Amino acid sequence: MDHKLRRFHIHVATWHHVWSEAALCLFLVLFILVSPASAAMRFQERSLYVKDNEPGVITSYTVSFRYMSPQMISSVDLLFCNDPIPYHECVTPAGFDASNAQLTNQLGETGFSILNKSTNHIVLSRPPTAITSATSSYTFDNIKNPTDQSQAFSVRLRSHSTTNASGPQVDFGSIRAQVQSGVVIQTQVPPMLIFCVAERVEDNCAGTNEKYYSDLGELDTRSTLNAQSQMAVGTNASGGFAITANGSTMSAGTSVIEPINQLSESKVGSDQFGINLVENTVPAVGKNPEGDWTNAVASPDYSIPDRYKYKAGDVVAFSPNVSLMKKFTVSYIVNSSQSLRPGVYSTTLTYIASGRF
Amino acid sequence: MNRLKSFTLAAFVVFVSTGFLIPPQTASAASAALSIVPKKNYVIEPGKSLNDKLVIRNIDSTQPLQLTMRVVDFTYTDDGGTPKLMLAEDAPQTTWSMKPFLTLPETVDIPANGSKSIDMNVNIPKRQGAGSYYSAIVYSSGAPEGGNVGLSASGVTLVFASIPGNVKEDLKLEKFGAYVDGKNGAKPSYKYFTTEKPKQMAYTLKNNGNVTEAPSGSIVIKHMFGPEIRVDDVNPNQSLALIGQTRTYAACIKLKEQQVSFNNSTTEAKTCDEPTLWPGYYGASLNLFYGQNGNKTQEIISSGGFWYLPWWFVITFVIVLLIASFFIWRVVRNVRARLYGPKTQKIRRRR
Repeated sequence: MDHKLRRFHIHVATWHHVWSEAALCLFLVLFILVSPASAAMRFQERSLYVKDNEPGVITSYTVSFRYMSPQMISSVDLLFCNDPIPYHECVTPAGFDASNAQLTNQLGETGFSILNKSTNHIVLSRPPTAITSATSSYTFDNIKNPTDQSQAFSVRLRSHSTTNASGPQVDFGSIRAQVQSGVVIQTQVPPMLIFCVAERVEDNCAGTNEKYYSDLGELDTRSTLNAQSQMAVGTNASGGFAITANGSTMSAGTSVIEPINQLSESKVGSDQFGINLVENTVPAVGKNPEGDWTNAVASPDYSIPDRYKYKAGDVVAFSPNVSLMKKFTVSYIVNSSQSLRPGVYSTTLTYIASGRF
Repeated sequence: MNRLKSFTLAAFVVFVSTGFLIPPQTASAASAALSIVPKKNYVIEPGKSLNDKLVIRNIDSTQPLQLTMRVVDFTYTDDGGTPKLMLAEDAPQTTWSMKPFLTLPETVDIPANGSKSIDMNVNIPKRQGAGSYYSAIVYSSGAPEGGNVGLSASGVTLVFASIPGNVKEDLKLEKFGAYVDGKNGAKPSYKYFTTEKPKQMAYTLKNNGNVTEAPSGSIVIKHMFGPEIRVDDVNPNQSLALIGQTRTYAACIKLKEQQVSFNNSTTEAKTCDEPTLWPGYYGASLNLFYGQNGNKTQEIISSGGFWYLPWWFVITFVIVLLIASFFIWRVVRNVRARLYGPKTQKIRRRR
């Protein structure tokens, strides 16, 4: 046994460099000789013109594209789906109907007629003819637009050499379209953004304490002045919301208390004005956001306890999508140095709530 | 009689002085709670105009709401969907501004717990070129008096108008991959190796055209040994890439849809659910489509991938590797001992 193993080892060892060269050659041969799985090409310059873009109306569609493969083409398959990917399941766009479609005009490659049609499917057919004119367009009347304008729909195109759109495809491609109303006629609850600000607000904004300012007291170089206010916000808009804090820092005439531009803790004895939206211990002020919905959050720079910042125009809270009512408590801190000129320092902060695009 | 005149005059002076010298307390007697429409979209042909209504509600049940309204331009803040409002009075007008086309009242008063429909007119000049135009309507409540920090609330409606025709559309794909949430609320980022289970796939597009774009399409991710997962709607909120913006779109690998009650109505909320992912490498392919009505449909195809290696898997893998190495070492040692005899090792040590 030992003898056999030793002989095998000696034999294999002398051939190991040959093996690596052979493997490399084999890999290159496979790489060069293996041909692509399919010869079908994508239609180019694909477009769809919907004459009347209003949801649910009956209008005309002009489908345009450029044939790419110089082959006999006898049929074109048009399938209307939500998803443009050819190998995905086709879901008919809500409200769409092409069952009464009529081919009223054709340019470029002509001679087609409608072989069959259904709610979301049209097959154009003609006698076998070679492609001579690359760019072509086909106009269909009596097509009913989809009713859902919240999502795009698409036309999946395929050309075939057979007259009934069977067998292998020659060219393929998808066209994207979307209906959009000039003026939205509300058939359901419209998107809304609810927002309120005061020293104290109710969770649903139904009431406030009707005090739209916060008193900080008298400046003292040995302690931090603090105050808090509240704001509640919610939206049923799918894009969510963003709240920015706007306004200058505290000032008295030409003298200003520097805002905290970079996240920092409260430093007694230095000129500082900053805010955050969480509960703090130094100084003890503020509250964490209140509300069950987790989508709405304070921005990272304004959500660290005992760290403050104020930069006009910064987003202080946001939600990337639908958010039920959420209440944020804003903490304000002010520190002053000995060199700060005496005066009554004040500011007005405007919180702006907007939708997102 | 003179005394009566003097008394009357003095009373009048006191009355007038009081009116001028005591600061008005209007701010604390007005509401700062409002409900507005966050976004409006229109398609208007050149030379046509359109009338619409903006519904504003005063949520406060006791105080009236006094709002001033003005139109400002906006652009993007970052690669997300937060608008950057150009609030300065002297801010230059943007090339995509809707200011010249919008007509609105300047103020509106709404009683407590009431609502008002504001007439809005959008008028597009005859020779206006095709493209996207957008601005923001800012509703401001009054500025308060008193205290050190005055508080004021404003709401914003974003208004988008699309003028049909031949437009320049050009989206360039900049990034595509797994998008993992940052720690302590930090912004999510693209990861090639991640120990956290990614909940989202994302792609970043640069819009070099003269229209806003909302691409649609799908993402397919496939584990090295497992089944594939398909994300059918890669832009479920129809989010826009503004003109010149580099926009990151994030799509949930597993979407959770739920009906929630908002302000006495039901609405559909979409959030990312925990997907079922095995440790290992995932290949991902992106197929995007975009194009305005009557313009060419453009397609973006890309592929990428990511490694999902949770700590428990890494630790288990290292332990298994160490055990396997130990057994291989023992086998090699035994084979060598049988081939060359136990003396071999001693001889080597001497050399």
